[in-house]
Amino acid sequence: MSDSRKKQWRWPFSAETVRAVLSSHSVLGLAFAAVIYLVCLTGTIAVFAPDLRRLELPRTPVAAQLAPDAAARALGAAAQQVPGDVSLNLTLPSPARQGASLVAYKGRFERNWAVAEDGSLSPLEAAWTEFLLNLHICLHLPRAWGGFLVGLAGVALLSSLVSGILAHPRVVRDAFHLRLGGSRRLQEADLHNRLGIWALPFHFTLALTGALLGLSTLIVAVLSLLLYRGDTGRVYALFLDPPPPVDARAVPMPGIAALVTQAQARMGGAAVESIVVERPGRADMRISVHGRQPRLLVAQEEVQFDARGRAIHVEHAADLALGTRMLGGIGQLHFGWFGGFPVRLAYGLLGVALCVVTSSGVTIWLARRRDRGRPAPGWERVWAAVCWGQPVILAVTAILAFAVPTAPLTQLWLLLTILAIAGSAIGHRAAPAAHARAWRRALLVSCGVAGLLYAGRLLL
Amino acid sequence: MIAVASFLLILAGAAGAWLLRRSWRRREGAAPALVGTGWALLFAAILAAGWGIGPVKGAALALVMEAIGALSVVFHGRVRRKAARARAADAAPEPLDEPGRLWRGILRTLLAGPLGMTAAMALAFCVTVFLPGDPRTRIVIGGMLLPVLWGLAMTWTLADRRLLRATAVLLGTSLLGFGLAFVGGSILGGAA
Repeated sequence: MSDSRKKQWRWPFSAETVRAVLSSHSVLGLAFAAVIYLVCLTGTIAVFAPDLRRLELPRTPVAAQLAPDAAARALGAAAQQVPGDVSLNLTLPSPARQGASLVAYKGRFERNWAVAEDGSLSPLEAAWTEFLLNLHICLHLPRAWGGFLVGLAGVALLSSLVSGILAHPRVVRDAFHLRLGGSRRLQEADLHNRLGIWALPFHFTLALTGALLGLSTLIVAVLSLLLYRGDTGRVYALFLDPPPPVDARAVPMPGIAALVTQAQARMGGAAVESIVVERPGRADMRISVHGRQPRLLVAQEEVQFDARGRAIHVEHAADLALGTRMLGGIGQLHFGWFGGFPVRLAYGLLGVALCVVTSSGVTIWLARRRDRGRPAPGWERVWAAVCWGQPVILAVTAILAFAVPTAPLTQLWLLLTILAIAGSAIGHRAAPAAHARAWRRALLVSCGVAGLLYAGRLLL
Repeated sequence: MIAVASFLLILAGAAGAWLLRRSWRRREGAAPALVGTGWALLFAAILAAGWGIGPVKGAALALVMEAIGALSVVFHGRVRRKAARARAADAAPEPLDEPGRLWRGILRTLLAGPLGMTAAMALAFCVTVFLPGDPRTRIVIGGMLLPVLWGLAMTWTLADRRLLRATAVLLGTSLLGFGLAFVGGSILGGAA
């Protein structure tokens, strides 16, 4: 290194260390690029899941408010349509979330309804939105394995963020450079670094919460081995209320509306956010009313009643352990569902930025190879098929879901992904730039068609 | 409420970044007053959001919205260049080129993957077992530490060319950490 360069070097790490860390950044980025990109892309769209459900099912009611007696009617109607040992979770409208919805669940059983202001139920099975959420959460693999893979991608993203900062000695010097045109590599590097640095807290939060959500099964399993001889139930029991003793005798539902009013009086001004009825219509039924203070991310007030309508447990936000409060906020912070449409829009924009950061990382590596006289046109086509192809394929699945609501979306997505990548790897004739251009045109067309179909149905 | 706060936070992010950019553009060196005011504005907006909207909710909102404001300043200051070769001064550091050997690749994958995860778990769960306080808080803190420590282990093992050292450190950390966590867990498990 020359004297002048030594004088300019103000980074706490040596030039050789920076190059080694940059090498680690490249290896990790390349190894996980496709998975990280897919998870980021689907996550960016999944932020708008509440809006997508409304686009998919435009006829379903969107309640602006739900009175306690309407909530009681909705729960009573749902209880008659499902087995007695399920749980019913009614979520009420709030400033952060339009509409009321009700879900009945137990194990793999799940049914969803939208709830109108009068308490009537409409089925709420938005196939494409569910397909997208599953793709984001576990890549349509079995929950434990898929979740682990997504969690691993989150860890790789965290590591890439750390190594990206450590390997960026010109972080201040280039803080505002965004040079478009000219050298492809510099343009992509400017985009990669500027979007990566200025939105770093967002990227870090998303990667950390995503990794934690994905690895939660593994964390619980290992912790239970260390603390409770492998009994995972004891770890979950720390965070969940134990189920009431089994008593399957049929009993009438208590007056839910009166219970909600009673709970509201005990919650110190918190707005009722959800009502959970476990084992509805049985003697071991438990009704929990949850409320949220406006300054908190999630509902932390809770009043529980038994089958006779007696209050059996009251919990306020201040009573909760810090860990329970943190755990509750992780999902909200990850998906950006805590502040209504403005927050979802901001998450969407920064999510696109994260997709660009991921995609440009690989593009920089490919451009560097080209600059050094070792181009990899096959990989350039494959990467174009991933980063432009995936949104195209997702748009095609959305079009198919519009035309054939029962279509097997997962299988179609997998088939199209394999075809796109294999076709790009095998097709030697197309120049990489022309190949990417073709994907971009396909993206415009497919998004245009999907937008027209769904928006048209909404308007008509 | 959130919409108005979001708009104000975007403005604060843009204003803070604009002040920083003004200092950055000066040819005669950075202006400490502009840098100080810029950063103060960015931090003050986070504190104000935490105070007005809620500590976690407000801070999260501020970090997201300020990033958008700052990026809009960066995007506004973009320059468009004609096609040309990159100047040497523009070039970022190059990654270290190493001769590719299969066994080193496999060993590095094992170090950054399973062994890094084991060492990170060992440290994180030591914290969970031995940290004082409510077990739920300890579990969540340990859980949040795991991805961070694993990510750091990945960065380090993939950058460190002395693979033997990395192997020894990760193995030692795993054995010691899990040993301590297991002993501590046996003693404290009942209490947790």
